[in-house]
Amino acid sequence: MNSITGFDRKERPFDPMPKPTSPSEEGGGPKRPETGSPDKDNLLKRMRKVDPKQAERYRQRTGQ
Amino acid sequence: MLNRIFGLETEYGLLINQDRPEYSPSWLAHRIRDQVFHIERRGVLDLHHRGHDEPPGNGGFLTNAGRIYLDMGHLEYASPECGSLTDLVASDRAGDQLVQSAVQGAGLADHVSLIKNNIDHETDATFGCHENYLVTRRFPFSRRGLSPLVSFLVTRQVFTGAGRVGAAATPDGWVQVGVGQAILHRPGLRDARTRTVLPFQISQRADHIVNDFFEWVQQNRSIINTRDEPLADPNQYRRIHLLCGDSNMAEYATALKMGTTGLVLQLIEDGHEPKGLEIGEPVEALQDISRDQERQWLVTLASGKTISALDIQERFLDAVQQHYKGQDEETDWVLEQWEQVLTDLRGDYAKLVGRVDWASKLWLLETFREAEQVGWDDPMLKSLDLEYHNLHPERGLYYGLLDEGRVPRVTTDKAIELAQEHPPRNTRAFGRGEVVRHLLVCGPGVETQAPSEEHRFLPDYVINWSVLQLRGRPPFLMADPFKTYVQEVRAYVGGNL
Repeated sequence: MNSITGFDRKERPFDPMPKPTSPSEEGGGPKRPETGSPDKDNLLKRMRKVDPKQAERYRQRTGQ
Repeated sequence: MLNRIFGLETEYGLLINQDRPEYSPSWLAHRIRDQVFHIERRGVLDLHHRGHDEPPGNGGFLTNAGRIYLDMGHLEYASPECGSLTDLVASDRAGDQLVQSAVQGAGLADHVSLIKNNIDHETDATFGCHENYLVTRRFPFSRRGLSPLVSFLVTRQVFTGAGRVGAAATPDGWVQVGVGQAILHRPGLRDARTRTVLPFQISQRADHIVNDFFEWVQQNRSIINTRDEPLADPNQYRRIHLLCGDSNMAEYATALKMGTTGLVLQLIEDGHEPKGLEIGEPVEALQDISRDQERQWLVTLASGKTISALDIQERFLDAVQQHYKGQDEETDWVLEQWEQVLTDLRGDYAKLVGRVDWASKLWLLETFREAEQVGWDDPMLKSLDLEYHNLHPERGLYYGLLDEGRVPRVTTDKAIELAQEHPPRNTRAFGRGEVVRHLLVCGPGVETQAPSEEHRFLPDYVINWSVLQLRGRPPFLMADPFKTYVQEVRAYVGGNL
């Protein structure tokens, strides 16, 4: 297979790939979710806004 | 990751909100496509028939060299050819944002939600996220040669699965087309009474994969699609086309899915694949792993030995570490994260929230169930399942996790914005993007002489993955996806080639 290393990539979107960082900067992935934490409350608020009937209305055709 | 071209194709679901029941998903898909090409001028629509199901105007190429089109009523985005995981993740997310922007630009955001998932809980419809990997023609594309890839794909769902509430009905709707002809599976014939009661499973597509090898993509979906369509020089290349995977919301999961699979393909190309991991019944194993509520993920090998999916994955990880560690920066990133994820999967799944989609979704659903004191049979859970995949940043539950700082990024908003308009600069996408940009700015150009007899009835332009043609000029072949063709393309559109 041909090499791809010789090409100019002036507008390459992103290089090199950074290591995924934890928001807490602790490494090893995101913090373990904790019961009762404030962010859980925000997520619950977002979840409670969801229309409970929307899965019934989704009605997609089969694709590939 | 050197010497690999990656691509992703995503079929989006369209959820119509309650206040506009007169809209249909198919009609909205047309509106979004028209917004992309006619209003926002993100690319140029095809003027030619691409196939029996793609008439002129059905879709087109974008300035980023990817495609937006309609496929069986679904809005679909195909990324440009990417030579790295960084470009791939940015290009994949660019597609999400292109279609979401079009929804908002068309004033449809209050009426429709784009859902990047693969199933409809109610109808058992399924639609895909197809992965493409370019390999050499020497790749051992035989049942024996592909056996290690099957074992890898069946078990990688433990970190690539997007998760779902419930299960599809047992695929019992089989019809014979004619005497002595093919027997086709008809999902619409499934009997709801055969539906397994299942709270949650880790894969969306597992229930819809019914074969190990097959060439079709709609019926009889297989773990490995065997259609030989390289979209490149067929003497040099083969395109491994996979449709067993789920659409991922997490950038991390997308990168890990494509990165690990690319490295396993390299193992097979080089003859370094781990031995003795052939799974006895791969299709059954795919579904059993997905549905295992205890998450022990046990598999029976052809040898009769029982082994866990995690152990199989670790065998592949060990082989890649042995042969390719230090190969390049992206390989090392994949190796490090692959190892970490497999380690974490042996503990509390909640540790994977933000990195693995099924874990994020399960944690959200459990959080909701606990807070609202509802059971798994509550219909709200299916709606929350869909909402995890909603591309609206203020509504989607994945984006809720992102807002809360629980999701590690592997690209940046700036890179995604750039990738909406610009192709990768180290593949033939670069050349194609130049043509699309030229046509948008200058049009197809004025012919200096009357077209020849053979060109008279050709459209003004034809753009395909591996060839393009402006009317009155010879076809321009781009048979090598590793070449940018950019100088040649500029000369071609300038009439100098």
